[in-house]
Amino acid sequence: MSELKPRKDLLDIESLSLEEIEYIFENAAPFKQLFQRSVKKVPTLRGKTVLNLFYEPSTRTSSSFEVAASRMSADVTNFTVSSSSVVKGESLLDTIETLQAMRSDYIVIRHQAAGVPGIVAKHTNASVINAGDGYHAHPTQALLDSMTFREVYPDYQGRKVIIVGDILHSRVARSTSMLFNKLGIEVGVLGPGSLVPEGRHDFMKRFHSWEDVFDWGPDAVYLLRVQLERQEGQFFPSIAEYHKMYGMHSERVARMRQLGAYLMHPGPVNRGVEITDEAMGYEKSLISTQVENGIAVRMAVLHWLKPETDKD
Amino acid sequence: MRLFKNGTIASEETPELQKADILVDDEGVIHQIAETIEAVDGSTTVDCDGCVIVPGMFDLNVHAREPGFEHKETLSSCGEAAIHGGVTGLVLMPDTAPPVDSGNLVKSLQDLVSEVSRIPMHTSGCLTKKREGKELAGFSGMASRGVTMLTDADHEVPCPDLLRRCMEYAKDFDLLVTTHGDTPALTKAGAINEGHVSYKLGLPGIPAISQEIALDRDIRVAQHTGARLHLQQVSTANSLKSIAAAKEAGTQVTCEVSPYHLLLTEEDADDYNTHFKMDPPLRLQSDCEALIRGLLDGAIDAIASNHAPHTEFEKSADFASAPFGISGLETTVLALFDRFISEGTFGWNLLVKKYSAEPRRIVNLDPVKIAEGEKAEFFIFDPNGETLVSKDYLKTKSPVSPFLGQTLKGAIRETVI
Repeated sequence: MSELKPRKDLLDIESLSLEEIEYIFENAAPFKQLFQRSVKKVPTLRGKTVLNLFYEPSTRTSSSFEVAASRMSADVTNFTVSSSSVVKGESLLDTIETLQAMRSDYIVIRHQAAGVPGIVAKHTNASVINAGDGYHAHPTQALLDSMTFREVYPDYQGRKVIIVGDILHSRVARSTSMLFNKLGIEVGVLGPGSLVPEGRHDFMKRFHSWEDVFDWGPDAVYLLRVQLERQEGQFFPSIAEYHKMYGMHSERVARMRQLGAYLMHPGPVNRGVEITDEAMGYEKSLISTQVENGIAVRMAVLHWLKPETDKD
Repeated sequence: MRLFKNGTIASEETPELQKADILVDDEGVIHQIAETIEAVDGSTTVDCDGCVIVPGMFDLNVHAREPGFEHKETLSSCGEAAIHGGVTGLVLMPDTAPPVDSGNLVKSLQDLVSEVSRIPMHTSGCLTKKREGKELAGFSGMASRGVTMLTDADHEVPCPDLLRRCMEYAKDFDLLVTTHGDTPALTKAGAINEGHVSYKLGLPGIPAISQEIALDRDIRVAQHTGARLHLQQVSTANSLKSIAAAKEAGTQVTCEVSPYHLLLTEEDADDYNTHFKMDPPLRLQSDCEALIRGLLDGAIDAIASNHAPHTEFEKSADFASAPFGISGLETTVLALFDRFISEGTFGWNLLVKKYSAEPRRIVNLDPVKIAEGEKAEFFIFDPNGETLVSKDYLKTKSPVSPFLGQTLKGAIRETVI
């Protein structure tokens, strides 16, 4: 493979070239094989420091990055800003100054406000990895989703994925649908009209019922997490109605089984809302694989990015 | 005496510029205008060859931030910025701390203005006490101190009944009621126009109907009460349609547009640049085009900058957290020349009409005229010059502008006041 132009930050999917995407996947595969060994560590990032900066609670993504970084022998510092002492936007520049002084090589950042990782990236020499910013982007989630899909479908081009749920407030939906689209995977979307903005993405086929979705014949069903605390009553009448209209239950699982479709979910799952306990046991669920691939993809991203910490 | 030689004079009446020399006496009064005036003893000659002499502009929508937010702007820095931008009169929005909601506060603000400002700054007063949208502010006290309009600035009066009472009450004092056109229940925490860009950036959006519904409501209430209504910062094609229809129906309604809503779209904020974050938000190209047409066909009465300074630090926050507003007094004439006049979209007469004469008429002031016996109140504009809009160039305390770093065609050589 030809040498790629070095890149400092991973902020979104939009700016990635196909070449860069393939490079990440090529590296993620051997990292994943490493997990089968008794010693799961490589010395790639020995002496480097990774700062996990989470302004929103997240156990899964934060630990995934932590595991990825420690398997590459980096020193990891976890810094979770609790919601009670959330650093407001206006002191962002002060925070960045502090970060710059810490001289971390990699900063993994999650923030409730869209665009913050970009601001941090602009003002630091460290490599910044966006681990989710507002409704904007979650690029490593998109990468792990695509890796997972390509593992089960090596002939992924022209295959179909239906994304179900709250598109409006979902950075996962934005990033994952965009990456699927870049890779030539067809994307459909199903969800209540109040949560699926009309006409935003020309490449997403809009569905209004599971019936139509199953007629379309998706190769995977990607369920989004329903943000219970925020949305009940404002965007749909009740959890029960959401579940009835858009949730995954045994009848719909049966249809998926007929189609041979896989089930995906970014986690954490709301059992009884977007999916029933029973459906969670579906034999073609990729949810655990997604978690495992998340670590591999994040290792590949850490391996790929080039901090400029040798500069002042 | 100062003799301004070889310039051409712009006016609202005609696109043709009148070649003339202007002699201004030591009291600042235009003594003589003639095709050629010879220098007299003791007079200084200002060479205006190739330059346009333009009546001083008047900005209906200025947030000078004093009292209360002097770290953003002061009356003094605001006044200097205005002069630097060719603006020789303006209306102060009442959203200071405390808000200007009583005759006493109007008086103390006017006293402050007379101490620090070199140009007339007219005061507006709140519609409701503390701009809270609950009770009528003291209209009679403010009227007796000479407020030019009543407005809660960017706060909408939430209750239509209260707005109705405001308008009914304002009529007795022949006071202009000014509103901003925003439906808070729709705007919520929105930061940018709701559309492709808000979706792509993952930012909460402000739908066009947020302005359109509020504006429709305000027009209806004005029609019902017969009050005079001025609508600030029209931003969508549909808003303009409503206004045009209201005018057609004989409603006493006027409106203004900002230079930004004529020149820029939501796409310009594509990289989270907070210098493009304003209220109302930048909309679509089709809206810009409709607004330009409205300016040309008369549906839009005035241009107003909505000069809303914030510190660079405040604007350095992430897009959603950063405050709405940018500074505008110094770049409005330049930007409109750069993008419209120099391109032939419209002539100087339209700029003079929409940014000098009409705004003054809206608040019952006489337009500035460049004529013998009148006070000299004009700026000298060099259409062949250019201006780098840099932090050094700007006199406002808030060097927050979408044009920062750009070189615009034309240069304001001097503002004579």
